[in-house]
Amino acid sequence: MPSAAPAVTTEGLGKRFGAVRALEDLSLTIGTGEVFGFLGPNGAGKTTTIRLLLGLLAPSAGRATVLGRPVTLGGAEWRGDLGYLPGEVSFWPHLSGRRTLEYLARLSRRPPVDRAALLDRLGLGAETMSRQVHTYSDGMRQKLGIVQALQCRPSVALLDEPTKGLDPLVQQEFYGIVADARGRGTTVFVSSHVLVEVERLCDRVAMLRAGRLVFAGDVEAVRRAQRRRVVAAFTGDVEVQALSHFGEIVEMSPREISMLVAQKDLAALVARLGMLPLADLVVEPPSLEEAFLEHYR
Amino acid sequence: MSVLSLLGHLWRRHRLALLWLAAGSGFFQWAITRVVPAVAQSGFVRQLFDMAPAPVRVMFGEELIASLSARGFLGFGYVHPFPLLILAVWAVRVATGALAGEVGRGTMDLVASRPVSRSAQVAAAAWAVLAGLALIAAAGWAGTAAGLRTRPLEGVAAADLLPVAAMSLLLFAAFGAIALLVSATQREGGTAVSWCAGLLAGSYVLDYLARVWSAIGFLRPLSLFRYYEPQRVLRDGLVAGDVAVLSGVGAVALAAAFAAFARRDL
Repeated sequence: MPSAAPAVTTEGLGKRFGAVRALEDLSLTIGTGEVFGFLGPNGAGKTTTIRLLLGLLAPSAGRATVLGRPVTLGGAEWRGDLGYLPGEVSFWPHLSGRRTLEYLARLSRRPPVDRAALLDRLGLGAETMSRQVHTYSDGMRQKLGIVQALQCRPSVALLDEPTKGLDPLVQQEFYGIVADARGRGTTVFVSSHVLVEVERLCDRVAMLRAGRLVFAGDVEAVRRAQRRRVVAAFTGDVEVQALSHFGEIVEMSPREISMLVAQKDLAALVARLGMLPLADLVVEPPSLEEAFLEHYR
Repeated sequence: MSVLSLLGHLWRRHRLALLWLAAGSGFFQWAITRVVPAVAQSGFVRQLFDMAPAPVRVMFGEELIASLSARGFLGFGYVHPFPLLILAVWAVRVATGALAGEVGRGTMDLVASRPVSRSAQVAAAAWAVLAGLALIAAAGWAGTAAGLRTRPLEGVAAADLLPVAAMSLLLFAAFGAIALLVSATQREGGTAVSWCAGLLAGSYVLDYLARVWSAIGFLRPLSLFRYYEPQRVLRDGLVAGDVAVLSGVGAVALAAAFAAFARRDL
């Protein structure tokens, strides 16, 4: 379970590229051992945030700390506790996979204690690892990216679009890898626009839009706060308009209605529907996707 | 520790090119010892030079023409465009590939997100440039020495050419530092290569034009090639002023590269 000590904090963090505001006034606290999801459409500022946390970019405003240490462009020692998977991962094309991992582990100055297990779980065998990286498919490169980020068991892992290019089976394995890392106390910061993935992996989530934080909270709380979609079908004609005070009507006909209803109004609606000639009733569980879309509409 | 790891990585990436460049440099200087005119031939060659147009004579060095000798001819081997090109290729290739090239490829993210300081990255690139230049320059001198061993020339010792080789190393170390500064400020290896090639070619052309066109002669000190004169080194030994200028330019450019790379966004 996450502990109270923050692994990552940002206070009023901002970044401008000339006249373009890539990130504005971002204040977040991520606890140790937490899996934190960072959501947003392309260009929302997710990658900029991660690069600011790594000290690859200098902030235009605000500050950040990672594991209690201030993030700076210089002073590289604090990065020894980090693992990073870039959104567009690139390697040296004429280096073999094995040499690539060895080189990056040497630079990390930590033993690659989890390398063998990760290679095994992601299906990167000895033959693949002995080949030069330019012969790899996109999926294999992404797997190698995941291994290099996690092989030295970092305290904080910053993963930018980690499942890009992975087939569904490998994605499932990746979810298991993140769960295991979390179990060992690793804080995982996942940037994604795959909502199902974030919903499945993360304890908390933040949403960015045009460089600004629009929401941050528990995934479960987001779901609870989200209106449910209720679809009711009737055996005869009904005055469906009369149900409008329970929520927002999305579609209606004399024999069917589709509505968005807040959780607090759900019981009353179901009780009211029970008085009508009900043929079928579907209450869809709320998803992060709906919350996401609602924030970005 | 980081610098050594980075240096090992640079060596693996560039070793084949370095071996070819060093072999090319050595072979060229050895070949020069084969074509040095013997005393009986030098009068004929002098006549050929005298008939050449003035700009051609300037390009090949007035001093060489004035003192057509085995020493002069061997010195000419160190201002020929071929060995200069070999040294330039190494300086630009490694300097631009190590910083701007890594940024452009996206591999810089993997290195810079680890406990590797930015100064370590610049230092590793600088050491790689310098070590490669030293090897290429040494290979060139070794070519001269090997040639003179099999074809001894009266009044010439291989050791006479050692200061010339050292000056060629110093000249391109200065250009390498400038290339590192360019590389430290660019986002693409190709752009950095273009800038460096332009600066090198511009410096070479400026030196040549300033020698043949007196109206712009005052601009010649702006070219680093002005401070690399093998014939003068052969005659007078190392010139302290030239050594100071090339060392100074190299040191200032390197310091600027450290400062620029430490402050930039990656």
